[in-house]
Parts: sequence; C-alpha cells; structure tokens
Amino acid sequence: MDVSRRQFLGKAAAVTAGVAVMPLSEAEAGLNDQPPRRGGDPNKRYGMAIDLRRCIGCQACTVSCSIENQPPVGQFRTIVHQYEVTDNASEETAAVMLPRLCNQCDNPPCVPVCPVQATWQRKDGIVVVDSDQCVGCGYCVQACPYDARFINHETQVADKCNFCVHRLEAGLLPACVESCVGGARIIGDLNDPDSHINRVLSENYDDVKVLKPELNTRPHVFYIGMTDAFIERIQGESGLWFDSEHGGVMGAVS
Amino acid sequence: MDKNRRNLLKGGVAAGGLGVFGAGYVGPVKKATEGLLSGSAGEPTTDRITGNALTPEFHIDADTGELTPADGQVVSLTQCLGCWTQCGIRARVDTVNNRVLRIAGNPYHPLSHENPRPYADSVRDAYTGLGGDAGIDGRSAACARGAAMLELLDNPQRITQPMKRVGPRGSGEWQTISFEQLIEEVTEGGDLFGEGAVDGLRAIHDTETLMDPENPEYGPVANRLLVTDAGPDGRRDLVKRFTFNAFGTRNFGHHGSYCGLGYRVGSGAFFDDMKGFTHAKPDWDHARFVIFMGTAPAHAGNPYKQQGRQLASARTDRRFEYVVVAPSLPNSSSLATRSNNNWVPIRPAGDSAMAMAMIRWIIDNERYDHAYLSQPGPAARDAAGEPSWSNATHLVVSTEEHALTGRILRGRDLGWTDNADDSVVVDAEAGEWMAHTAPQPAALFVTREVTLADGSRVTVKSAMQRLTEEARRLSLSEYSAECDVPVATIEALARKFTSHGKKSVINTHGGVMNGSAFYTSYAIVMLNAMVGNLNAPGGTFVKGQPFTNTGAGERYDMANFPGKIGPQGIFLSRSRTTYEASSEYQRKVAAGRNPYPAKAPWYPVSPPLFTEHLCSALEGYPYQAKVWINHMGNPIYGQAGLRKAIDERLKDPSRIGLIIGIEPFINETNAYADYLVPDLVTYEGWGFSKAWAGVKQRMTSARWPIVEPRVGKTADGEPLSMEAFLIAVSKRLELPGFGDKAIPDADGNLHPLNSAADWYLRGAANVAWDGGPVAEAAEDDMRLTGVERIAGTLQSHLKPEEWRRAAYVFCRGGRFGKAPAKDAGPVTHWDRPATLWNEMVGSQRHSLSGEYFTGCPTFHPPRFADGSRVERHYPVDQWPLRLTSYKSHLQSPHSIAASRLRQIHPYNPVGINTRDAQAAGIDTGDRVRVVTPGGSVEGVAMLRDGVKRGAVAIEHGFGHRELGARTHTIDGTALPGDESIGAGVNLNDLGLVDPTHSSGNAWLDWVTGASVRQALPARIERVA
Repeated sequence: MDVSRRQFLGKAAAVTAGVAVMPLSEAEAGLNDQPPRRGGDPNKRYGMAIDLRRCIGCQACTVSCSIENQPPVGQFRTIVHQYEVTDNASEETAAVMLPRLCNQCDNPPCVPVCPVQATWQRKDGIVVVDSDQCVGCGYCVQACPYDARFINHETQVADKCNFCVHRLEAGLLPACVESCVGGARIIGDLNDPDSHINRVLSENYDDVKVLKPELNTRPHVFYIGMTDAFIERIQGESGLWFDSEHGGVMGAVS
Repeated sequence: MDKNRRNLLKGGVAAGGLGVFGAGYVGPVKKATEGLLSGSAGEPTTDRITGNALTPEFHIDADTGELTPADGQVVSLTQCLGCWTQCGIRARVDTVNNRVLRIAGNPYHPLSHENPRPYADSVRDAYTGLGGDAGIDGRSAACARGAAMLELLDNPQRITQPMKRVGPRGSGEWQTISFEQLIEEVTEGGDLFGEGAVDGLRAIHDTETLMDPENPEYGPVANRLLVTDAGPDGRRDLVKRFTFNAFGTRNFGHHGSYCGLGYRVGSGAFFDDMKGFTHAKPDWDHARFVIFMGTAPAHAGNPYKQQGRQLASARTDRRFEYVVVAPSLPNSSSLATRSNNNWVPIRPAGDSAMAMAMIRWIIDNERYDHAYLSQPGPAARDAAGEPSWSNATHLVVSTEEHALTGRILRGRDLGWTDNADDSVVVDAEAGEWMAHTAPQPAALFVTREVTLADGSRVTVKSAMQRLTEEARRLSLSEYSAECDVPVATIEALARKFTSHGKKSVINTHGGVMNGSAFYTSYAIVMLNAMVGNLNAPGGTFVKGQPFTNTGAGERYDMANFPGKIGPQGIFLSRSRTTYEASSEYQRKVAAGRNPYPAKAPWYPVSPPLFTEHLCSALEGYPYQAKVWINHMGNPIYGQAGLRKAIDERLKDPSRIGLIIGIEPFINETNAYADYLVPDLVTYEGWGFSKAWAGVKQRMTSARWPIVEPRVGKTADGEPLSMEAFLIAVSKRLELPGFGDKAIPDADGNLHPLNSAADWYLRGAANVAWDGGPVAEAAEDDMRLTGVERIAGTLQSHLKPEEWRRAAYVFCRGGRFGKAPAKDAGPVTHWDRPATLWNEMVGSQRHSLSGEYFTGCPTFHPPRFADGSRVERHYPVDQWPLRLTSYKSHLQSPHSIAASRLRQIHPYNPVGINTRDAQAAGIDTGDRVRVVTPGGSVEGVAMLRDGVKRGAVAIEHGFGHRELGARTHTIDGTALPGDESIGAGVNLNDLGLVDPTHSSGNAWLDWVTGASVRQALPARIERVA
C-alpha cells in the first residue's frame, strides 16, 4: 500500500466518523476570494446526487469515465472506494461504497490558488481547467480537500472531473451517470425545480449529506444514504483494494 | 512561451497566486516558472477545456429534442462477451478509423435495463431517450468489464494468423503458417512436428467401425475426436453441427463443469429436469425476503449486471429484505440500507449443513406450506389454486436391494391398467391409493408396506417422509458445528424465511462448488419447496424462452440436413450413462467378482464433463482421444487442480496426438496446442445468445460485425475464425451439412454453408420470424446503428422479404419479447413438479462404492471420489484453514488484457480474517504463501473483517500465466509478455488432485463431476 493510499484511508476514517454529515439545508456559507464565474449557461446550476443505497461498487462509472476522458491508465477522475465496516456492538460487518469525484463546489478552494487563472468556475457551476493555460504547478491539487484533482502524467497539467461538460452541452449524460448500473448517480440542473435531481433530493431531504461541509466549500455532489448512526461506531475500516502502481487514489500528485 | 501564457502570467499571479507562492513551495514554483517560460512539458490535449475526451456521439437539441449523430460515428447495438451473462451493449463506433470508442448498454435489452425500451420503438427514439433529464430513467449501462472489453480488439497479444508449434508442446515457440497449410495438416496428419506420425482428422473420421469391439458401447472410431468450447457464446450451434452431426463424434464439452455444474445438477434434480438442468431466479419485482447462499447478486452471478440493478432498486424503493450467507462479504451487502440486509458468515462448504438444518427446523416446527406440498399433480394444483405442484406426496420404494429401490411407485407397479404411468399417492381424506393426477390433495407423510404386482413386498415412503428422515439424521447443533453458524442464527433465518408466504426465496449458484456440490445445491434449492414459491409472484421463476435462431426455425431448418449423423457411444467423461450398463461391469459380474469399484468414477446423472474429458482421454479410460479441438475453453486456468493433475500428460504427444486451439488470444489451455487458429472478438463476428436465467420475457441477443475484423483472411476473403476453420475442414473431409447444399429452407430448397454469413444470416431470418415476423428496418435505423454497412451482405444472402427484417433484429441487437407488467408476477410457468425425491438420482449407485445415491437432499461433508472425508487424508491440524473462491465483479476469466479494467484493481490480495491474521502475525500488505496439498502460491495479505474465521478468500480472475502474461516466440521474434496481466494469484493453482481417483484427476464432486474449488484444505505462512 503506498503512502497516498494510507493518507486517503486516514481521511476516509475521518469522513465516516461524522465530519461528512451535515444536512444540505445547513450547508450555508459565504463565497470568499472567488474570481468571477465565466462561461456556461447562467440559468443552470449543475449538481450530482449519488444514492449510496443504489451503489453496488461495480466501477462501471470508473471505467466509463476513463474511456470517455482518456486520462492516462492509472489516473482517475472518478472512482468508487470500497470499505468493510464492522459494528462494535454487534460485530456485524457490511460493505460501504463511496463514489468520489470533483464536488464542483460553490466555493472551490482550487480556483483562487491558481497562479495563471487556468481553472475557474463556469456560471453553471462546473469547475473547469484550461489545459492550454495550466502550467502544472499542482497548487490546485494541493488545495482540493477531496483529492479530486491530479496532474495528468501525459499532459503534465491539472486534470479533474468536469461533469463531462462536452456531453452535457450535447444534451447527453456524463459517462459515469449513463453507465451507472445501480442507478445511483443522478446529474441535473438544480435551478430547474422539475429536474430529476431536485425531485430525488427533495424526496430524501433529511438524508442528503455532503463531504466535509465544515470547510464551507459548498460541494454540489450530494450523497444519499450515508448512514451516520451506524458509522459512529465503526471499528476501523480497510480499503478492500490496493491502488494501482501508477498512482494514488484519484490520480497521484506527481 | 505563447502569448496567452505570457498575458496570464500577469493576471494570474495578481489574481491570488502570489500569496500561495509566497508560502514557499519550491517545487511547484520551479515547475510553474518553467511551464510559464517554455510551456507545459506534456502532450497537448485535443481541446483546452475538455481535454482528450471523445467527441459526443450525438447532439440532442435542448429545445426541439432533435437528435443529430456525430459525423463519422455510429452507435451499434450488439452482444457483449466480457463474461457469460452476455448483455446487450451499445458501442460507439468510429467509422472512419474502424474503432470501437466506448461501450454502454442497449436500451432495448432486458439484461441491460430494468424497463427496457419497447421493441417497436425506432432506434432514433430509443437513442433520444438516452439524453437529458429523461436519460436518467432511460440509461442502459454496461458494467465495468463490458465497458473495458473493447481494448481486446486491438490488443497486441491477439493472434491474427494461424500458427504451428515449432518447439515442444507448451514451449511457447511458434511459426505462422497459411490457412491452407493449417487445414491440410490437421486433416491429413503425418510427421507434422518431426516427432513421428500424427493422426489427422481424416484418419479418425470413421463413424462405422467400432473403436473397441470388447467394449462396443465406446462407439465408433470417430469418438476419438474431442471438441470443446468455453460456453454458449452465440456460436455453439455451428460447433455442435460439426461435432455431432457432420463429423459424428460423441465428444463435446464446455466450461459448465468447472463453472457452476454442481448447482445446475442439484437444481435440475429439484426441477425434474436432468437434461436441461433448469435453474431459477427470485422474482425481484415482488419478493419480500431473499436468502442468497453461494451466490452474490451485485457482485457476481448470472445475470450479473441485471441482478445488480434489481438488488439496488429492491432495497431502495420498496419493502425488501435480504441475507447473504457466504464465507466472505460480497458487494451485495450495503451499509446504506443497513436495516434491510445482513451478512451471515459461514465456513466454506458449510452451506449443505446450514440448508439441511433449516429444512429440519421447518419440518420439526411444521412451518412448511402444507397446502402446497399436499397437491400431488397438476389437477390438484389447479383445484387448490397453487402456482405449481410437488412430488412430496409421491411414494418412494425404500427397500434396499429391490429392483425398484429409489424409484417412485407407479400405477403399473401395483398392476393398474388405468393410470399405469401415474405416480401412486395416498388420498389425504380417504387414505386409499390414488393416482397423482387426481384433483385432490394427498397424504404428506406416508410409510407403508405394499405388495407389488410381481408379488414382491416393499416399504414405500412419501418423498416428504424421506426428506424428513434425511433432515433428522443430524441435530441442529451437529449441523451448526459443521457450518459454524450458531443454532440461534439458523433458527432465526428459518423462521424469517417462513414468515413471508410465497414471497420468500432462497437462491444459490457457483458458491456450492465444494466436495459435495450436488447435495449442497439440492438442499438449498429445496428450501423453496418448503414455502411453495415456484411460479408464484415474489417467488422463484424460470426464464422465458429464446427465439429460435440457428436451430430448426420457420425460415430455415438449421438443425437438420441431408446426411446428418447421430453420434453413437458413451462420452469420454463416463457421464449420462451407468457403469452397470458397461461391458466392464458385465465382465466383472460374469467372472464372479465384485463389480465395485469401477476403474474410475462414472457420473450417471451428469451431462458430458469437460472436467473428466481430458483426464479420460489422456488415460484411455474409457478410451483415448487422438485429436482435440478447443474453441476458447480454458480448464487449465478454470478447473481447480487440473494443471497439476495433467500437465505432464498433456505435454506428451503420444497421448493426445493433435491439439488445435481456436481463440483470439492464447489462453492457459491453448498454450498446449499444436496449432492455433485465430478467432474473432465479439465486435467482429456473428452470433445469437440467450439469457441464462432471470429474464421473464422471451429474448435472443444478436451479435454482428460492427467493425472490420483484425485477423487475416482465407483465400475466399473470409476472416480467420472458428467458423472459417470448421467450414474448411468439413469441406475438405466432405462432411455432410457443409458446402453448397447444406441448409434447407421451408420449401426444402438447399442453401449453401460456405461462410459464417451463410449460417448466421439465415439464423437472423429465423429470429425475425419466430413468434410472428418483425417489422422491416427503416433506413434511419440502419444509418444510426451502422447496420447500413452490412446491408449488402444481408441482401445477397437472404430473400427479398427477409433481409430488412433480419436488419431490424441487428439494428436492435437482438429480439426481445414484451416485458410483463411489473404487477403481473412471473409470466413463465414451470409445469413439472418441485421434486422432493428425484428417482433418476435415487435409483443410481455410485460407481466406486456401490452405494445408492440418496434421491433427496441430505447432508454430506466434502469428500473424495471413494466417499472418504477430506480430513482423513489431510488432517485439520496440518491443514487448519479452508479456501473460498469468489467471483470478481471486475475480471472474468478472459478479461485481464483490458488495461483500463486492471488499473482499478491490479491484483487480488489474499483475504484473511483480521483476527486469524493477527494471531498468525500477518499484517495487511505482507507477502504470504498459501499452501494446500495441491500446491502453493505467493500473494499479498489483506486483513478483512469480511472473511469468516478459518477461511481464506481468493477472488477469481487473476494469477494468469497466459493471455499475454507470458512471452511467446513467433517466427523467431519474441512477443513480450506483460507481467501486469499475470499479477495476483489463481486459487485453481491450489486445487487438489483426488488421491482416490485412479486416473489421477483433479478433485471433483463425487456425484456430478463438478470441479471442487470451495473449502480446499490449506495453511498460510508469512514469507520472510
């Protein structure tokens, strides 16, 4: 197990210990130091809901994203982490699947740190990277609290999930969403009250969580079914797998 | 440095970078500075924002909803072969560069969508429904493996030309040869390798002469040809036509016996189907409680992807609970819906004891469905309003050594002239004999003495009585000790299982492949009879039928032809025939000797067994094979212990003289071949496949060449393939059923079979007509799917009224019946009984011990062929652990070459229970050696709470020695192996050779001959 993996597991433990869990309604925070948004449809705000009850850890999203976006083999814009957790009291063990990707935060810590303005947030909420502008310094990679960014080994510039913006603009679904076997991933326009994602989020309003809400990043990837009651008594979890020799969890920092 | 960058240098730093830079990260500063001055050192992307992402296949206008396909791309619907589920996929094809870009699911396909698109919908509508907000519900996925398999198409490890070995067998040294040389040498034989004369196919093509007059049941000389394939990949009908009906050998085999055969035969016994070995699935739409024991939906199992979706929906959307009983925690489990699912850890191979314990508790506490089990036949079933019937009330002749022992008592046995063939039951009310066809219930528990028409006196017992006696052989605490599941857990599970009426189901599959696989499977499946759920909404259902394709269809009779041969004689594997009928047995009896044991095991209730074929053919018992043609089969990788058992014998050309492997890659088995024939991957060829189980509606998937094949071609321009090989061999040997006059149409006119298209396109016409003709494909359907490219081939091979209907089938990736309404319950109907006593099993003897098989579920621990318990040979103090093999949700046995699949999970760690490992001083990441009596492997330990104490869990699909892992030499040039393909360990390298099997075969289930890969005795040690 390489070092980056160990670090991730440490973070994941923190996540499951309750840091992650704050209802959507409470995740209010001001925007600070963010440059003006540019590009994208100002009437839209894209977000993703991930219903963990439906995630079976099949990694179809991981492979489909990898083929759609062609990062180097061993670097990932999204992946599903898998844990075994044991209840201290009952000693019962169950599986936890946690899909990870860029949270397209409303207050993205990765944006202001860019020395060359190669990354910014569009008006539709998608945080993009301009690979022609990016100099590959890695600041944004360091700044992201979700390990969602990496320096692409081939292009030598910052790389991350952009919700398959090229597909969204073509009226199609992102690769990870359209390949989701369990039907866990839902993308849509949060500004549209009739959108599928809004319906799902309102139906499960009290059970919607985001990762690390205390950082005020205002993530726009919303998790359903991240059960904190059981999680508080986790004895200690292990990643079921080791990472690729090519790099870390979401693509290693090179 | 370009202008943009220079401009941004000012703005960028000013906009907030400075403060961070000031924090003193020397590395990033240096890198940033260099990047700003000279540009990034990396390769430029195709688009500055979207990077190297693929060009979207469509544009769907947000306002009008109009779909515009991308230039140079089509989206083809075809069949996946990433695993044996064989889902329907949609492949984005770059028509300019002849490449497959990305793969997702076919929206029409019931294995790829819970609510598939109506078959009559246009392709344009179906594709439009994949986009936007509507696409969330419309999405049809491929799994990770299915998405990654496109890499196999242009994989450097593919074989594209025929090859012949130039070194010793198995040496990995080859020369390429022409297709014509290949066909000549394998048919005519000769001194092909400088090692002496080798019989070719012509020398053994004799369906008249007995190979061994002393043992006439061995059949003709032609039986010295063994033909095997991997599975029904949609092309098997042609292989069987060649094997059985053209060449005329009896010997065909496939992967079933090292896949899930123990389950299938146990299930077949339950469904009274000892030919097709029917199996069933839970009705996911209505079941309330399901136990999965030896199978793991959402992790593996078949259909993998569909059950994953069904499980996700059931546990999220409605009232549904489930329990997974397994030695290792599968992905079926979910903390997110913790309240409705649970994992019960069990000792490997403990399932048999657990299931028998549950049966016992249910019977002892009278929790079984009495009304259901009392209906003795279809008339009583209908009168009582039950969804199916059982033979629980039928009477079993239970007097040992009587000629009818183990048989169900029939009317004729009592001298009845009416209802002579009916089973005899006892009228529940009157207590009199009654035919099982009577429309009223029968007594469930019966033990009676009866005088038969021949004057003999026997004891008869109802099947339920026999099952009860078997279940009560052990106490609950004894069962508990065997499976290491607490009595309280067993009782709770049995109570829960019997608390939801017919909406409780138990399901199993390949997890039962232990040393008593048949009885494990039969016991688990039998629990369904206790709640009477067969055919019931929310219960267990049998799938809908496929559409006839390359069989006896309405347009073309592809199952019959002039000169068709019916194969004769017994299988190499000594299956589906009794030892008692053999000349060997008769000779022993005539000589006054005890006929038992036979020289090696016979398998009277099993189909032909790939697991025994090879060892039999090598040892010459019953007889030797001389030529083996293997299409994609891979028992050397897939059958536990086989490599160790036969490696030396297989390398010896004096045993099987000629081995021909047909495959796109070189697998572990074809590495022993003398000749290699290239074959097509799924995107390049034709075929028709079906669902194994779990689909209510009728369905047949169609596969067609969505890209031009990468392989070489024959002189006629046909791509090198299994089809090209078999057709060429058949024509050279002038076998019937091939050539210019081979396929009769409905009017009796004969059509040619000279190419793959000759075969499969006529099959497509049959599909298009079965159950009423489909519509004709629209031009737009063909354009959007790329079927346009093969339209000329369709027109030239089919009749004018046929080709567009065949095109309709290919445009949609197959033919799919109407899905039943979700509130309708199962629409299929299994008409045969739930079989509590299977007389075909119960009347047979084991060929080594001479003991009768029990015709109902009963507890047996894992044992070797002679009946001895494993611990007698391999004591627990030396072998304290038990291995459990589980399927990977990522890798199938043949998917390892896909790098974007390997990247997620590059190898399989050895899963050890956390406490066991800590006690042994083993930590996660340590190198460990796993040792069994069959071998040892070295792997990396992973401590898991999700592994039962005393078990070691190894995921299947890794530890390859071939498929690109090993370097081969072709025409003197090395084709380098890729060690990442060989990463991890293969549990089958730890498989046991059965010390009581006289032919020295790997350990097989003593009833069915299924490979034993569960509960292998083992120990584990840390590698310093």
